[in-house]
Amino acid sequence: MKTDQTSSFVIRFTQKLFDDTEGNANIQWRGKISHVQGGDQTSFSEFEDAIEFMQSKLSEMTVASVESAPDKTKEEKEGLISKSFDIWKKVSKSAPKLMLDVLKDPKGQVTQIQEQISHVGDEISQKIEIDDWRMASKSDFKTMMSTISQMAKEISSLNKKVDKLSKKK
Amino acid sequence: MFSLQEQYNNYKNSESGIRVYTLGKFEMIINGIALSDKDWGRDKTLQLIQFFITNRHQFGLHKEIIIDRIWDVDDIDQGGRDFKVALHGIRKVMEPNRKSRTEASYISRQGSTYKLETENIWIDADALDFYVKLGNQALTSKKGLAIEIFNEVISLYHGIYLPNRMYEDWSAAERERLQIQALNAYMVLAELIVDDNPRECIRLAQSALMIDNTWEEAYRFQMQAYLQIGNRPQAIKVYKKCVEVLDREYGIDPLPETKRIMEVILGK
Repeated sequence: MKTDQTSSFVIRFTQKLFDDTEGNANIQWRGKISHVQGGDQTSFSEFEDAIEFMQSKLSEMTVASVESAPDKTKEEKEGLISKSFDIWKKVSKSAPKLMLDVLKDPKGQVTQIQEQISHVGDEISQKIEIDDWRMASKSDFKTMMSTISQMAKEISSLNKKVDKLSKKK
Repeated sequence: MFSLQEQYNNYKNSESGIRVYTLGKFEMIINGIALSDKDWGRDKTLQLIQFFITNRHQFGLHKEIIIDRIWDVDDIDQGGRDFKVALHGIRKVMEPNRKSRTEASYISRQGSTYKLETENIWIDADALDFYVKLGNQALTSKKGLAIEIFNEVISLYHGIYLPNRMYEDWSAAERERLQIQALNAYMVLAELIVDDNPRECIRLAQSALMIDNTWEEAYRFQMQAYLQIGNRPQAIKVYKKCVEVLDREYGIDPLPETKRIMEVILGK
């Protein structure tokens, strides 16, 4: 079974600002979503339809790769598919809200993420300028993993010290 | 400081030893000779140069990222070897007379990062961006020049970006960006000529709808243009098509702006 598989989607939103028949200012969103690897696309005006489209493509991918796995039993295959659906349920619950928040206030969302980063600690509290963003390489990931693991050890050692101090009191 | 006309003429008449076409097809022309797919040898060599072209505006691409995106292998060493072979292939095609151990002119390297140096390469996608920028500047004061420039934009757009890589996710963002540029260019030009040349306006709107059949503005320009030439039945037909497509694709009605044009057509 191939362990890594990628599905990419391109979502196009077109915003329409208009005055309705009563002269009230109105806004409408129209979208198109394409599945890059498969070439299919669909239009939507409700974001849930885009989610449904993504879900169907990702489900197809999961089912195809699980079905073709010769080393898995029927129960294991069912378990994998069920786990994949569970993950998707979580994504589909939070993704529309996140997307809408970003659409409403993209700067605010970036600021919020930056604030969350700044709470982690001084070591990584430096704000990241959008222009400096780039794709992480495998060695970047390795460095990040080793830094996180080092931080976890330090936190654990700090916790022990705090426990000791509390007991002394 | 060059005038808009001079900037346009200078860019149009500039010559580059290497010309790259990415819209509707991929082709590289070196000193007037078009390369065939065979000249690139392996498909991965061709894919690598296309990846460099797609990421030409980045400061540099880390070797590991390139390997990850193109070869998708877990074995870094194997990926490194594949990358080296493909890079050598590119350099051999683009600089066949380069002496070994001399700096490559087109793919530069800094540490583990690589970049396509585009100063002496003409790329249709860059030309399209340049003309859109220049055309937008000309819109307010030089309508004739703006028309000429936007005609240049649409003549560059022969189709989607790198069609032979449409299933590769690294090319998707650039494809989408350029398609939107082209759609907007069609609409700007349609607006500029709707009164003076309604028949050409109809053709432009139809071309835009071939790219995206839900582009409502294109239906509006067609309706206005048909009205201009006195063909009401056709204008009504276009409106009906617009209603049908928007209902089918989005389940919505046309915008009030489109409905108002229909009312004018019906003489209400």
